[in-house]
Amino acid sequence: MSCNSNVIRVLPPVGQEQRVPVHLMPCEIEHNGSAQVSEYFTATMKDRKHEKTVSFRGRGLKGQELSCPQGYTGLVLKEVNKPGSDQEDRTVRISSVFNKLTYWNLETPPNSDDTIVMAMDWPELAEAIHGPVDD
Amino acid sequence: MATRKKRTPNAQNDSWVVVAADSVIDSQKKNSDPAFVKLRNPSTDAASLYMFGSGDDQLYEVKAFEEDFHSWFLGQTVQQDGKLLFVTPMDPLYLILPYLIKSGKEGKFQPVDQVFIDEEFPACSRLLNCTRSLASLHHVAEEKEVGSLKFHRYSRDRTLNWLKKKVERTVIALKKRNISVGEGVKSTTYVRVKPESDHHEEDYLRYAHGLISEYISEDLSKALLQHLQLPELTSPKDTEPPLKKRKLSDKPVEAGEDYTKFNSADFARKPPKKMSAAQKSLAKVDKTGMKPMSSFFSPKVKAEKN
Repeated sequence: MSCNSNVIRVLPPVGQEQRVPVHLMPCEIEHNGSAQVSEYFTATMKDRKHEKTVSFRGRGLKGQELSCPQGYTGLVLKEVNKPGSDQEDRTVRISSVFNKLTYWNLETPPNSDDTIVMAMDWPELAEAIHGPVDD
Repeated sequence: MATRKKRTPNAQNDSWVVVAADSVIDSQKKNSDPAFVKLRNPSTDAASLYMFGSGDDQLYEVKAFEEDFHSWFLGQTVQQDGKLLFVTPMDPLYLILPYLIKSGKEGKFQPVDQVFIDEEFPACSRLLNCTRSLASLHHVAEEKEVGSLKFHRYSRDRTLNWLKKKVERTVIALKKRNISVGEGVKSTTYVRVKPESDHHEEDYLRYAHGLISEYISEDLSKALLQHLQLPELTSPKDTEPPLKKRKLSDKPVEAGEDYTKFNSADFARKPPKKMSAAQKSLAKVDKTGMKPMSSFFSPKVKAEKN
């Protein structure tokens, strides 16, 4: 990306917003693209006493559902038509939305010290840093 | 992160997972689309990624949250890059301030639109369109009205008072959070570790100062420390050059193909070196359940203490 294209426009979804299940996996998967997630992953999920478990590649994962902070929405943005030249603006489109995600730990049970849980506190702190001050 | 495995070229990655303030999407229902833009980061002087809402009326900060070895399942697709972006409302005054300071060196009152000329970041003039910008300039500048025209001149005193209020707000937010999570077993640990409540207060101040310092120049950050009547901490580390402070140069940080890279360094950036004592105190505060904050903003704290 050249520095000429300084702007990336965000387009609204085409038609009805699509809602998708979102999982944050505790491993790096060297693949971008389609996969049979519901057949081979979601199908083996167990949800017992507020603890979610799943088996992935023979490893037991422990998971927890996490809601987006109040006043916030999860979005998946997808780039549309990469511009052929540097002069054109880039564009991304909201391809789907989510209000909660499931994150998975390897072995350790989910707890409030997990970094993704902490990250969800950022908007509240950001409000203190960026909200208007009194005169 | 030296341990990070080299990723296979990420050319196919054309999607990003974002947690965005609802106002970003709501604003889309109006006439124009929100847009990511590159603007001058007031702390590093380099390019960072921000967002303007529809009609430019709101500025947003874009922060990348990233952990090693994570990937996403999004519906029936895999995304290798496990990054999560946060898009949160931002006070435009932080980005306006460097331009005012620069023009204020001449000591003259000036029409504010003449101040926002930046060849590297032409989008900077859009900052003035934000609803809050013109209404809050008096926090950082003196104003003069001649007829229907308004003129401004940077005021360091006003700026420091404004920043002090920012620090105070942040302290309240940090404490509030602490109260909600710091009860029970953990808080007894806390009391045992830190009995002096005065120090406790200073820890909060220093930590909030560190957070605000992410949005101001190093020079202003030092002045703010004095204004808060906090002595500068002198540890051997302070004499080292600040790690991430960019050397003076006019070149922007070249954004790679993956533009979301911009701010991830920013996000993972350590607080300035002078925070080291505050970091130490945070390590204690950790035990109250504030670990979230410290590891959130300075993932390398532990390594650095050694």
